[in-house]
Amino acid sequence: MILPKKGDPVIVQNITGKYGRLHTKLMLEYGTNIAAGATPGKGGQDVEGIPVFNSVSEAAGKTGAKISVLFVPAEFLQSAGEEALEAGIKLLVVITEHVPIRDTLKLIQLAQSKGATMIGPNCPGLIVPSQQVKLGIMPASSFAPGKVALFSRSGTLMYEITGQLTGAGFGQTVALGMGGDPINGTTPIECLDFAEKMDETKAVVVVGEIGGDAEERLARHIQKSGYKKPVVAYIAGRHAPKEKKMGHAGAIIYGDYGTADSKIRALTAAGVKVAMTPAEVPTLLMQSPV
Amino acid sequence: MSFATRILLGANLNHDVLRARAVRLFEYQAKDLFKAYGIPIPKSIKADDLSAVREAFSKLNHPVALKTQVLAGGRGKAGGISIVDDRVEAQKEAQRIFVLSIGGEKPSAILVEEAYPHDSEMYLSVTLDRGDRAFVTIAAMSGGIEVESMSGKVIRKIPLDGIDENFASEVASLLALKGDQAGQFAAILLSLERLAREKECELAEINPLAVGKDGTLMALDAKVIIDDNALFRHPEFAKLHPEDEFEGEASRQGFAFVRLGGDIAVVGNGAGLVLSTLDLVGDAGGSPACFLDLGGGAQQDRIEAALRLVNRLPGVDRILINIYGGITRTTDVAAGITAVLGEGPVKPVYARVSGAEEEEARKLLEGTPVKLFSSAPDAVAAVVQGP
Repeated sequence: MILPKKGDPVIVQNITGKYGRLHTKLMLEYGTNIAAGATPGKGGQDVEGIPVFNSVSEAAGKTGAKISVLFVPAEFLQSAGEEALEAGIKLLVVITEHVPIRDTLKLIQLAQSKGATMIGPNCPGLIVPSQQVKLGIMPASSFAPGKVALFSRSGTLMYEITGQLTGAGFGQTVALGMGGDPINGTTPIECLDFAEKMDETKAVVVVGEIGGDAEERLARHIQKSGYKKPVVAYIAGRHAPKEKKMGHAGAIIYGDYGTADSKIRALTAAGVKVAMTPAEVPTLLMQSPV
Repeated sequence: MSFATRILLGANLNHDVLRARAVRLFEYQAKDLFKAYGIPIPKSIKADDLSAVREAFSKLNHPVALKTQVLAGGRGKAGGISIVDDRVEAQKEAQRIFVLSIGGEKPSAILVEEAYPHDSEMYLSVTLDRGDRAFVTIAAMSGGIEVESMSGKVIRKIPLDGIDENFASEVASLLALKGDQAGQFAAILLSLERLAREKECELAEINPLAVGKDGTLMALDAKVIIDDNALFRHPEFAKLHPEDEFEGEASRQGFAFVRLGGDIAVVGNGAGLVLSTLDLVGDAGGSPACFLDLGGGAQQDRIEAALRLVNRLPGVDRILINIYGGITRTTDVAAGITAVLGEGPVKPVYARVSGAEEEEARKLLEGTPVKLFSSAPDAVAAVVQGP
């Protein structure tokens, strides 16, 4: 993954939909260079002064964009994602919720074969405050430039915790929502490895939740790789019932698989400081050698 | 943790009912699918009442198994399955099973099925391995409840476009199956994988897969969970389950909603935020009545609908609202609360409203009985303590 820089041209797919329009406006206000929109059959229109094309390849050809943000309905997401990857998009940010698991798996496979990165689905996107680049739906007011990289499975918890961080003087190099589905385009391990290579990033915050074993795998990776940067984590769902999807398709415990306790134990054993509440995250960061 | 624990989706793990959003099929529905895909199952008839059980009994070879149709795990241990050989006994047992609740769930029917005498049992499933981001097949030479403790499991990653005969035969030989039995097994695996792929299952499981006296393989139980996000391609599964009044309304409104049985309704915007609020309530010694996620960008009418819903939810006597404003406007939230307060009696509301336009939102709520807080821990401490 390559972090977007100030001025990088960005395409919005389904820019003509309700959310596409709203968030194009908000992304533009933040400073993101939305260069073109793509909606089949809506070529020739414009949204917020941004030209709309019928296809991603046309939009990418006209603007040189390698980044696309997708507000495409779940039913059409797979084909829209394939279209973008075939058109040379290297960073695919999928905001769409309720994408079938097999469609996500197919897109991940295609992205890997094209050397591209997919963020999401069912995620708020990513934001790079120092570059004034916002690719997604997060409220800009919570974020500030700084030295902490934040990766979260949940959207609103990402805003909540970033708000607390910013309030405590910890700005962010990048904040990225990995998504609330059982399968995500980017894993926590990929995110941490990425943060390790970013010189400006001095500490990492991981926001996880019940379901799956991504946090346990991350803990093993931190231990095995001798991860250098301090990591603080927060895991939501310690009091969640079993066998219920808690809002996110991926937030579900089966038996002992996917419990918050298992994740907290694994992360703690790997030397990660685990906050018990969102408000405790900045406190634990202050105790880390940032 | 063992792999099988990680992927095992239901054998005797929890008695909660999966009903609201996960589309888990009843055994008889799953077996209809098995039949359509050529997976061998014993002869059976679904019976909705006692007279249907009598009729089914007279049509089938004896003995028969009377199997309660619930989604909860552990139905065998709980007495939901009975093998009967004569009419009077069948009547008596069916009467008992029809009123037997398992994990709070009443049976939706009884499946009357010809018993299948067998020597041994196997396990076979196709399921999602989240960690490896792939579907896998799991097979073992012993069936039964505790899949995690099965020895000699075979686990194989399944390509997205499916498996072929070579793949299936290889799994059979890894299980040391030979001759005709290896052939039967491979055919069943091919069918199960095709079913899981075409119907977009998160899990398709045969446990047990029985080996009969004459060596014939037979699927004695069937568990199928459909990827609910793929229902637009499989509308036939959309209406399979009755849902309760509140879950039905919540799903029509587009809320994520889970009933929890306590006395504090927990409402917020964003699944992670509401989940984290449940933790705060639990840590403070409170007991949540429900989880309700309004979703992103919720406007005034949705706040109102959510508040009305939790206000009449049985068992609720306080309401906690936790909103981190962003795309959701805090002023919309305040206006929604005020509107519902104007309609009639509302249980005490404790609200944490934070983020954009917070000050205006506070002004809107001034003079109302709503208790306002700027931090989530403060709001939680107050709601747990109560009035």
